[in-house]
Parts: sequence; structure tokens; C-alpha cells
Amino acid sequence: MTVSELIAIFFGMALVNNMVLSKFLGLCPFFGVSKKLSSAFSMGIAVVLVMLVASAVTWPLFHYLLVPYGFEFMRTVIFILVIASLVQIIEMTIKRTNMTLYNALGIYLPLITTNCAVLGITFINIDQQYGFLQALVAALGAGAGFTLVLLIMSGIRERLDLADIPRVFRGAPIAFIVAGLLGLAFLAFGGMVG
Amino acid sequence: MGTWLKNMANGIVRANPTFILLLGLCPTLAVSTSIDNAFGMTASVLFVLLAANVIVSALRRWIPNRVRIPTFIVVIATLVTIVDLALKAFVPPLSKSLGMYVPLIVVNCIILGRAEAFASKNTVWQSIADAIGMSIGFGAAIVLVSFFRQVLGSGSLDVFNVRLFSVPGLADNPASIFLLPMGAFFVLGVLLAFFRWMGVSDCE
Amino acid sequence: MAKAQGGAYPILFLTLVVLASVVALTLIDGVTRERIAQAQRDEVQEMLATLFPEMSAYELDDDTGIYTILVDGDPAGHALMSKATGYGGPIDILVGLEADRSLRGIRVISQAETPGLGAKIIEASFLEQFPGLTLDELALRKNGGSVDAITGATISTSAVIEGVRQGILDLDAEGGG
Repeated sequence: MTVSELIAIFFGMALVNNMVLSKFLGLCPFFGVSKKLSSAFSMGIAVVLVMLVASAVTWPLFHYLLVPYGFEFMRTVIFILVIASLVQIIEMTIKRTNMTLYNALGIYLPLITTNCAVLGITFINIDQQYGFLQALVAALGAGAGFTLVLLIMSGIRERLDLADIPRVFRGAPIAFIVAGLLGLAFLAFGGMVG
Repeated sequence: MGTWLKNMANGIVRANPTFILLLGLCPTLAVSTSIDNAFGMTASVLFVLLAANVIVSALRRWIPNRVRIPTFIVVIATLVTIVDLALKAFVPPLSKSLGMYVPLIVVNCIILGRAEAFASKNTVWQSIADAIGMSIGFGAAIVLVSFFRQVLGSGSLDVFNVRLFSVPGLADNPASIFLLPMGAFFVLGVLLAFFRWMGVSDCE
Repeated sequence: MAKAQGGAYPILFLTLVVLASVVALTLIDGVTRERIAQAQRDEVQEMLATLFPEMSAYELDDDTGIYTILVDGDPAGHALMSKATGYGGPIDILVGLEADRSLRGIRVISQAETPGLGAKIIEASFLEQFPGLTLDELALRKNGGSVDAITGATISTSAVIEGVRQGILDLDAEGGG
């Protein structure tokens, strides 16, 4: 596992195969949270954290528990339960140790349980047959990419709110179209990892 | 009967999961590259939503409040796995097209949302109405998006390998952008604006 | 029926639900496992048949990933899936060798190249250049080989060439059956 391969995985996940713009994962919070820059940042950090821990837990669980006993088909049930529990634990831990952090992040954590991106990355780690380190790097890249797009979108939306947009397009419709344009721009990352 | 129909119709228009509630967007955008995929995904969602609503509704008096969400999740995850395995075994090509978006139905806000908001508080019979309505609403939305993406992106419309029609100029030089992810965003954005213009939605 | 809010009941209930889930899924798995395996074997068979239409069966060596093509029980060639790094992502190439080790041909199984440009590597007009080429000929024409690049998609073309070369080298290295 060379460093350049790991870097390729990171940037591949973050930019070329961006979770939101090309894999369509993590859309619900994307449109709900991305209206303010500060909340977008908090959500992004929370997502990266959960993705990392979830990958770190589900990978060994799959390879050392499910596979040897032939229970691969329990993957979906086990993974989502793990994620739901992790989110609870993380939320409680933050609440007890750092009240300021909790006030910033706390409300977004429960939302992350149903974030397709988190479950998605745990699936991708398995389907792409990544090793443990690769899986962690992929999770980091995916989370980073998600946060990046979230930040860009909220920055744009903050300005859109002040722009003169036709009534029918205001809110969700224009957000989607902007997301499409953003995706178009991200296509430029296409040859990066080749 | 009136209430039953009302509950069903609710999911199709007034509270259409995709266009109004903006739920379950992940699969809508991801698999809408062809109408076949759209039908397949709708069928999967219908099965899971129906079964989940029935089970949750039937057990609603026994489900302890504290573990309510985890219970819903396990039920839905189990149903989703059943669909996934069934597709892999009996319709492999569809399973390949839909890929990991079938297991991802488990975090589809539509299903969890209905279990929480409706099935856990209503009778089995009404929950069935809700499930059918929501699925039709979702299906209509995803088929609509797929229709535009497929016709604009490949110039013709093939349903289950039967060519329905071909748009003359478009078939030779399709606007393949619509088959790419951003095409999905554009189509959905425009459709949302269109429905709002028609006066169907009034929120946000 | 009174819903017991006591400490143990919720946990008990959830455990029961999870157990029910495991039982249900184990049953379904029992029913579908063989079918799924068969579907995968059929898929591989179809894929190999695109290069070896006369094939009657195949054998796969799990360690090397090399397929031995059988016609009526006799080995008639070998094939290997080669992974190349293309412009937009990995390219999976099926490389087929005749019994005499010459290149039977290639098929692009999956790719993420630019539609209209690099994606043309899947077209017959590109692929039909490959049968019979030797290792020396497996290079771009401008580099002294016999492969014409796709206009505007040199990187994709080079990736495919590299993938095919690697595939042949891997097949030779394993000696083959």
C-alpha cells in the first residue's frame, strides 16, 4: 500500500467521485443544512467523524466476524445498527466532555444516522475490497469531499437568498440547479487520479 | 373507505415524498438514468414500505418507546436485505443496475419517516393505504425524472428492451449530460419549479 | 395491553427483533445463495464467451485469477481480467490468449472514461485492432507499435494498452495450464 495509492484514494473519494455530486449520497442533510455557512461546517465535521469511526468499526466487523461465519448477508442490518449506536455514543460523549462542542455539533448528529453517505462509505469500503488503512483513507476523503461541497453550496445559497430569483425557482429548485452546476464543475477533476 | 383513499391520495399529490417532502432523493437521482431502473427501484421501495408499515403498525402497541427507532431500523434493514438478495438471485441485471442503492433504501427517509409519523400511530389497514400512496408518489416522481433523463440523454425511450420511440435529431446526438449526475440535478430542479408554478406546492 | 416501561423490557424487545431478523435473513439466504452463485457463474461464462464463442466450460484458478477455457474438455486458451488505470478511473479489461499464447483479443468490461471520447475504447472498431498483436506491437503507433489511438483519447488508449500488456505478462508469468 503505497502512499501515492492512498493519496489517490483520498482525492478520488473527495473530488472525482464526490459523495454528493456524483454518488448522490448525503443529499437530505445537504439541502436542509446547507443554508448557513457555520452550520454547514459543523455538519461537515460531524460527518467526517462519524464516517471515520463507522468505517473503523464496520470493516473489522465484516471481515473478522461476518465473513468467516458466512453471514455477509447480515451486512446491511449490522452496519446500520452500528452506525446508529455510534452516533448515540458519540453524541453522549461529546455532551459529557465538551458542552461548547455539543452545542455546535449536537443537533446534527442524530441526522447523520440516516445520512446515506455514511452507510454508503461503509458499503464502498467492502465492495472496493479495501484494506483497513485504505478504508479509513476513503472515509476521510469521502467526508472531506462531502464537507467541501456542503461549504460551497451554503456559501452560494447565502448569496442566492439575496439575489433576484423567479418565485417558482426559489429555495429547493434553484438549489438543485446550482448543485448540478457544481457537479459539472467537479467533472473537471476527472483526469486527476489517472 | 373514504379515509383509506384519502390516506393513499395524500402520498401521491399533497405530500408527494419526492417533490414536496424532498425525501428519498438519493435513489431518485442515482438510478433515474433509465425508466427500467426507475420501475425496479419503485417496486423495491413499494415492497419495503408496505411490509414495514404493516409490521410496525401491527406491533405498534408492543414497541417500547425508548427503542422505537432502532426497532424500525432493524425491521426496515431486514426487509431491504430480503429485497436485495431476491433481486440478486432472480433479476441479476436489475440488481447490477441498482447496485448499492437497494441496500441504501434502509436510510431512505421516506420509509423511516412513514414508520415514525404514520404506521406507529395508525391501524394496519390505513398504514397499507399510506404505503401504497407514498410508493405511487415516489414512483411517479422517479419515473418522471428518468423519462426526461433517458429521452434527453440517449435520444430514445426503451422500456424493458422495447423501443417506444426515438426523437429524430436527438437520437444521433443525445445530450448525454443528462445521463451524468448533474443532469439529474437539473431535471429535478426544473421539475420542482414546474410543480410550484402549477400551484401544487407552496412550501419553502 | 399495558406497555411495560421497565428497564429490561425495551432491551429484551429489541433483542427479540434482532433475533427475528437474523432468523428471517438466514432463511432467505438459504433459499437464494445457490441461485446467486449460479447467476455469477453465468455472468462470467457470458463474459468469457464474448471472446471464446466456442467455449463449453471454464475453470478458474482462484490464486492467480486465470481462466482456462475448455472446449469439450480440452484446454483451448486462457483469459485474465486486467486492471488498468484510465483517465476517469479503473478500466477492467478481459485479455484472452489462444492455446499458442498469441493474443486472441480483448474486451473492455468496465470503464469510467469520458463519453464520446475515451469511452470509445469499448467500440468494436477499436477492439478489433488487438487480435494477433505481439508484445512488441502493443504500443501506440507513434511509439513504434501497431495500435491507433482514439482521437482525443490518448490517455484512455494508452491505459488500455498498458492493461493488455500487463495481462499478457501476468499470464505468461503464471505459465498457464
